[in-house]
Amino acid sequence: MAGAMTDAPLLAVADLEVRYGAVAALRGVSLHVAPGEFVAVVGPNGAGKSSLMLAIAGAVRPQAGRIEFRGASLLGASLEDIVRRGIALVPEGRHIFGALTVAENLRLGITVRADRRAAEADLDASFRTFPILGERRRQPAGRLSGGEQQQLAIARALLGRPTLLMLDEPSLGLAPAIIDQVYRLLGDIRAQGVAVLMVEQNAARALDAADRTYVLNSGLVRLAGTKQELIGNAAFDAAYFGVAMSGEAPPP
Amino acid sequence: MNTLAQYAVDTVSVGGLYALTALGIGLIFGVMRLINFAHGELITAVGYGLLLLSGVALPVAMAGSLAIAVLLALVMERVAFRPLRGADPETLLIASFAVSFFMQKLLALTVGARAKGIDFLPRLGEPTMVLGLRLQMLQIVTILTSAGLLAALSWFLARTRAGLEMRAAAENFQMARLLGVRANRVIAVAFALSGVLAAAVAFLFVAQSGTLTPRMSLQLVIIAFVGTTIGGLGSLVGAAVGGFLVGAASVILQTVLPPDLREFREAFAFALVILVLLVRPQGLFPARGLKERV
Amino acid sequence: MAATLRRLWPLAALLLLVVAVALVASLAPVVIQRRVVEAFILLIAVVALYVFAGNSGVLSFGNVSFMAVGAYVSALLTMKPGAKAVFLPGLPAFLKAAEWPTVGAALAGGLIAAAFGLVVGVPLMRLSGIAASIATFAVLSITYVVLGTWTSVTGGQNSLFGLPIYADLWAVLPWALVTVAAAFLYQETRSGLMLRASREDEVAAEASGIDVHRQRLYAFVLSAFFSGIAGVLYGHFLGVLRVETFYLDMTFLVVAMLVIGGMRSLAGAVLGALVISLLTELLRQLEIGVALGGVTVAAPAGLGDAVLALAMLLIILFRPQGIAAGRELAWPFGRGARPLSTDKASGGEIR
Repeated sequence: MAGAMTDAPLLAVADLEVRYGAVAALRGVSLHVAPGEFVAVVGPNGAGKSSLMLAIAGAVRPQAGRIEFRGASLLGASLEDIVRRGIALVPEGRHIFGALTVAENLRLGITVRADRRAAEADLDASFRTFPILGERRRQPAGRLSGGEQQQLAIARALLGRPTLLMLDEPSLGLAPAIIDQVYRLLGDIRAQGVAVLMVEQNAARALDAADRTYVLNSGLVRLAGTKQELIGNAAFDAAYFGVAMSGEAPPP
Repeated sequence: MNTLAQYAVDTVSVGGLYALTALGIGLIFGVMRLINFAHGELITAVGYGLLLLSGVALPVAMAGSLAIAVLLALVMERVAFRPLRGADPETLLIASFAVSFFMQKLLALTVGARAKGIDFLPRLGEPTMVLGLRLQMLQIVTILTSAGLLAALSWFLARTRAGLEMRAAAENFQMARLLGVRANRVIAVAFALSGVLAAAVAFLFVAQSGTLTPRMSLQLVIIAFVGTTIGGLGSLVGAAVGGFLVGAASVILQTVLPPDLREFREAFAFALVILVLLVRPQGLFPARGLKERV
Repeated sequence: MAATLRRLWPLAALLLLVVAVALVASLAPVVIQRRVVEAFILLIAVVALYVFAGNSGVLSFGNVSFMAVGAYVSALLTMKPGAKAVFLPGLPAFLKAAEWPTVGAALAGGLIAAAFGLVVGVPLMRLSGIAASIATFAVLSITYVVLGTWTSVTGGQNSLFGLPIYADLWAVLPWALVTVAAAFLYQETRSGLMLRASREDEVAAEASGIDVHRQRLYAFVLSAFFSGIAGVLYGHFLGVLRVETFYLDMTFLVVAMLVIGGMRSLAGAVLGALVISLLTELLRQLEIGVALGGVTVAAPAGLGDAVLALAMLLIILFRPQGIAAGRELAWPFGRGARPLSTDKASGGEIR
């Protein structure tokens, strides 16, 4: 873990608290992402993973804690500004604009780019990098399959040339073969130096893909480490499922 | 045959007027999920603006009134609706109601509640012969203006970046913001456009009626609102079509219904609204993404 | 015993308040008394609206139509046959001849309004949120159009004269007290509580087995009854009925009173009605003119309406829960105000 911290972290979250009325979603979460690092956050439903993403992206205001990106605080900044600082979020459920064409969806991805020419070039390049999107560029995005929509959402997010790409449950509702594709894509993205922060319910795949993984449960980080450190760690199952270890049969 | 064609023109003309009004309401609802009852007051303000500027050259008066509408719309947004962004729909509804009434009463306070006559483009009221039909110039102008503005708006939405952002925001506002679309700008543009539409409606309406009262737009807006609901709240196509249909229907019913049932046609329209809300609340032309929220 | 007293205190306080206002008014000149009577009638209307809107969370724009129904029913039952023959020649014979005692006619007005509420409510209560509000607005408009066109029964667009004017301070006060008491008792019943639960979270309420549709219907019908009563009293206060009276201006006034007072508590409804009535009366005086020295200073006509609308807007912007903010009147000895419901605190939504 120390190795990942030699440079100042790209994203640093400290003691983050998020509450919705009386319900506490995050009760003091700390994590960090180094430049170019692939970090996963796993945990059962209701652990607070989505709230974490939304708080970082600026969609939800935390009650307490710090969020720093490249050394500067994100608290109080609007969504639109946070995106312009280099963070892109692909939210849970993909949320592509079904009524707009594929091309129009992608075009929205370059909203934050100041360099028009390079942005247009990137837009064209997307059609080559993602041939399916190129094929269907004039179709309403609502007609795409789940996997294609995921590609579109990710391609769209990448067009903003983010330094940190955040994904909330990228494999949700997708067939295993498609999930493979998505993870390959994430690997490519990572290879280009973009940091990735990913929330996943599918702990196995997340552990495989990520450099480091945090286990979130009931609003708190219970464990963190690389795949080697976590697999076989007696505390891992407990942290993930939130049940005591001894004498309990592992859930199916 | 002549009469039938004349009725047809009348129907299209009135339908067009209501379509424009409905669009003004639908635009705002699309991006903000707000039913802007005060849209009528924008129309009324333009009317009084024309009266205020009646001393100057006509194009200047019209441009000035248009500016008044846009400015008023932007002020309305900034002062009354921006602080309420993200509030629940019920609060927005009450606020819209309050803004509408406030502007109405303020107008009554400043210019008086009595009707005032206005001489605006009176020549348009004159009959003219077109293709062997005896029509009012105003009807032709109304049809052309409605069609023209509809086309312009469609072009704007389909072909410009601001239009694209607006369409995206209308479908899923939060997601649009997550891509960097500036909420304030999109909404301001929507309000400004609604001001333009209000001005157009006002010009046509005032040329027709020749009278100004603080409440003159009430009827117009209520019917347009009915049309928007039937056509589909949040859908621009729905608003335009719904507005057109209701406006056209009111003309048709006027001619077709026996005299004692004629006054009930408004009641029919509202009964239809209730029916639509119960059976197909998304309207005839549902807007995409009314449920989608990040 | 002490616990019951404490539970009933919010009601007792409101009843005492209303009685106190009545007592003070009884000492004042007749002109002032009439204003207070009007205020009480509006109070009944606002509390009636509260019974539904406050407990269900759905704002109804249609309650004024129930007022209209109540007003016209009572008018038809109490007007002298001679007057009816003149103004409403097309009336069916049994109505033409009818000359009921005032209380009976008032009850009839309320009950028929309630029946109307039932008929309208069965389909409408399925709707939620603004769809419901829009639908109630449609009901208002339909009623307005129908009553305005049904010339044989209502006189249509013409004013209907000849209603017996019996709604003075002592006739209206009991109705006001009954309405407030009924509203309070209702919200303390199991039915009322179930409805309030659905207000906070409709889905959760349904999941807990609450028949939201039915609970809303009960509240709606009760609300319609008392709105009808308010309409009855208003008619017999004015002596004249016009369809125009029960349309947008009245709707705005009643809604404004409830919103400004605070939609979520009975105290809010009562306070809203009383405070706004006071405010409009003061402004009305200003419009008439105030003698300063030897000069009469008068505000322009329409100032009162504009100020009321502004007040409503300001409340929505800066204090949307209204004056009472969801609380009932507090027991002055000991623990502070206990809010009947905790509004969902916004856990940090979009900026």
